Amino acid sequence: MNSYVPILVLGALSLGFAVVSIGAGALTGPKRYNRAKLDAYECGIEPTPQPVGGGRFPVKYYLTAMLFIIFDIEIVFLYPWAVHFDALGIFGLVEMVLFIVTLLAAYAYVWRRGGLEWD
Amino acid sequence: MNGTLLASPEVSGFGGDPWWLVVIKAVAIFVFLVVMTLFAIWAERRVVGRMQQRIGPNRVGPFGLLQSLADGIKLALKEDIVPKAADKAVFILAPIIAATPAFLSFAVIPFGPEVSIFGHQTRLQLTDLPVAVLYVLAVASVGIYGIVLAGWSSGSTYPLLGGLRSSAQMISYEVAMGLSFVGVFLYAGSMSTSEIVNAQAHGWYAVLLAPSFVIYVIAMIGETNRAPFDLPEAEGELVGGFHTEYSSLKFALFFLAEYINMVTVSALATTLFLGGWRAPWPVSLWDGANQGWWPVLWFVAKLLMFLFVFIWLRGTLPRLRYDQFMKLGWKVLIPAALGWLLLVATVRALNTEYNFDTREIALYGGIAAAALIAVTFVWDLIAARRDEESAVEHEPEEFDAMAGGHPVPPMPGQSKPALTGVGATTTAAGPDHTATEDDR
Amino acid sequence: MTISGSTLVALAAAGTPTGTATGTGEAVLFWLLAPIAVLASLGMLFSKKAVHSALLLALTMLCLAAFYLAQDAPFLGVVQVVVYTGAVMMLFLFVLMLVGVDSSDSLVETLRGQRIAAIVAALGFGALLVFSIGDVVVSNAGLATANADGNVQGLAALIFSRYVFAFEVTSALLITAALGAMVLAHRERIERPLNQRQLSEQRFRGGVHPAPLPGPGVYARHNAVDTPALLPDGQPADVSVSRVLLARGDVRKAPGADVVVRDASEIERPGDDQ
Repeated sequence: MNSYVPILVLGALSLGFAVVSIGAGALTGPKRYNRAKLDAYECGIEPTPQPVGGGRFPVKYYLTAMLFIIFDIEIVFLYPWAVHFDALGIFGLVEMVLFIVTLLAAYAYVWRRGGLEWD
Repeated sequence: MNGTLLASPEVSGFGGDPWWLVVIKAVAIFVFLVVMTLFAIWAERRVVGRMQQRIGPNRVGPFGLLQSLADGIKLALKEDIVPKAADKAVFILAPIIAATPAFLSFAVIPFGPEVSIFGHQTRLQLTDLPVAVLYVLAVASVGIYGIVLAGWSSGSTYPLLGGLRSSAQMISYEVAMGLSFVGVFLYAGSMSTSEIVNAQAHGWYAVLLAPSFVIYVIAMIGETNRAPFDLPEAEGELVGGFHTEYSSLKFALFFLAEYINMVTVSALATTLFLGGWRAPWPVSLWDGANQGWWPVLWFVAKLLMFLFVFIWLRGTLPRLRYDQFMKLGWKVLIPAALGWLLLVATVRALNTEYNFDTREIALYGGIAAAALIAVTFVWDLIAARRDEESAVEHEPEEFDAMAGGHPVPPMPGQSKPALTGVGATTTAAGPDHTATEDDR
Repeated sequence: MTISGSTLVALAAAGTPTGTATGTGEAVLFWLLAPIAVLASLGMLFSKKAVHSALLLALTMLCLAAFYLAQDAPFLGVVQVVVYTGAVMMLFLFVLMLVGVDSSDSLVETLRGQRIAAIVAALGFGALLVFSIGDVVVSNAGLATANADGNVQGLAALIFSRYVFAFEVTSALLITAALGAMVLAHRERIERPLNQRQLSEQRFRGGVHPAPLPGPGVYARHNAVDTPALLPDGQPADVSVSRVLLARGDVRKAPGADVVVRDASEIERPGDDQ
């Protein structure tokens, strides 16, 4: 438990700093109202009207995020495996090779289908 | 310590500091990071200035050292604008989410060995966890939220695109980064930073695991959105990226977070691959080099070296295109990291299980790797030439309206032939219209 | 769900022979974070904006991670942040921004039997939780034994020996996820993308305007990019204003020019012919 207390202290310190500077920014700066200032910045043109619920992202990013989850989970398995590797020995190696090869099949499929091509 | 927990999952030597020491260390880390940020901004402008045959800021304080401080004060005196279309709560929350985790990663970075502070023996490290490196990744992944939310909450087009790109970029490179650590854990047998530094007493992992190190260095530059991977802020395309709509100290917080992240990834590279606070070779011959407060000097020197590389790259390389960047991350770094990881694990297993000589394995492994690289290189050349040829030859084929026995619309690049005959004009009036629409 | 889950975990931890009583620090943490977690999950249910819901869910997950850490499961706690807060919630956020959902969107269910399937799955999951946690409460080795070689090592020893089949099956699950993502989000490319050289050749062979287009006329009066620049003969340069603005009808007349600009469709621009 005691190992986490220092993290909390540092976290409180940095959170306090961030909150105070945002508060301070509102106080120290001038306030001169101007309608154009509050518009979205689009290099000088009238801002593009935003669709309801915010803008929309290309669907392509969904694939990126999904692939990220897959590899993230792989990493989460790899870390304890690596730490405990010497005790697991050859059996551990074979297990992980099987796991990685299975995932590589998915990776190869996505690659071949062009899922890793960006514009 | 809680006496009831015999096997408390703590790294030995940590968790026993009195409260005042914890506060001193936390404040010291905080001040160190803020000073490093101010210094790094100044150094970047000076060094890039030199590289571009300019002088750089030299007016405020000696050598312009106080320039970043002056800039900070200037930012504080700017108007704090919250755009009309913004989601106010999230807009204000985003810089806090970006800045706070940036500081937190440094809690597990070792600055030096055990020293005496006011008669109290303690490590020069705020704390350590058995999962310290994973903790750094976790904190970094929280920091990405700041960027996504900043982009989304601004209610403006450029920040939205910039934030999206930024986060996609960071998560892509986080994978390569995470994979590059595995080799280190394999050899150190631990994820705790202090134990990884201890494990490097007889050789740095940057030498032993050179490919891991290279992959990490590339990934860390991508992860911090720095040149040549600074696409989220590609001025020519996206204005300022996710922080376009931010001003005053909110903007300053994003700036701070970016530079602290630079310092953090550099510190992590130092810790995992360059022996942490251990003295570099010629100095390490001196017995006292790894004792007392000297290691802080070696640590900071290695850190500054990485920061210089960051600045150097910015002064040297042009920005990558988005597709090139993603290709590098997903098609080069990740397979390379996986392949290297399997190689390392195999060598390690053979070494421990069958007592193979490491040099023998290294020799044969090296030959095999060189052969593999040569083969892929030749294959790449052939593939590139084939691509070139097929691209030149690739003229749009003649449009066959009944390809495969079914009526089909033209593919992109194909044009529909002019219709002839009497029947065609009447029957094809409707489809004709849609076909030209598709052509565009 | 949150309350019951965390209290059960707390019970499981309290039932271990080594930690019969919850430590003060742990109790303080629990009573501080549990209300936050509950409030955040309630907020997630009732907040109007989807992104706010997602953020509150992330907060709940962070609180859960803190509980895991407090119960001497550092690996689980940190992984909770890396995978759930970092990756899964990021996917959620992407999806929310992707489709731009809002409370104003219609809530018609397109999948039939979705609710029933959800209830069945929830019941199954609940049963799984009750039985597995109940099993741990009744008979367990204790934290000291579990963490004897260190938390991560102990976990690795279990995953890669006793639960190796489950571990390998996970990879099949991940493949399914990859396939699903491809089916949902991948758009097949039917033509080869042009490379740098081809783009460059196309630009010059088109013969219209290989160099960058002229900038708009800049008159320090207002948002000036909507005013065309003037050619030497005093005519407005059509190509100097954005096509988007022309289409929107936002283009102003340049001072001294007779005409605004021609209709957007009449202007020939480089790259239009492809």
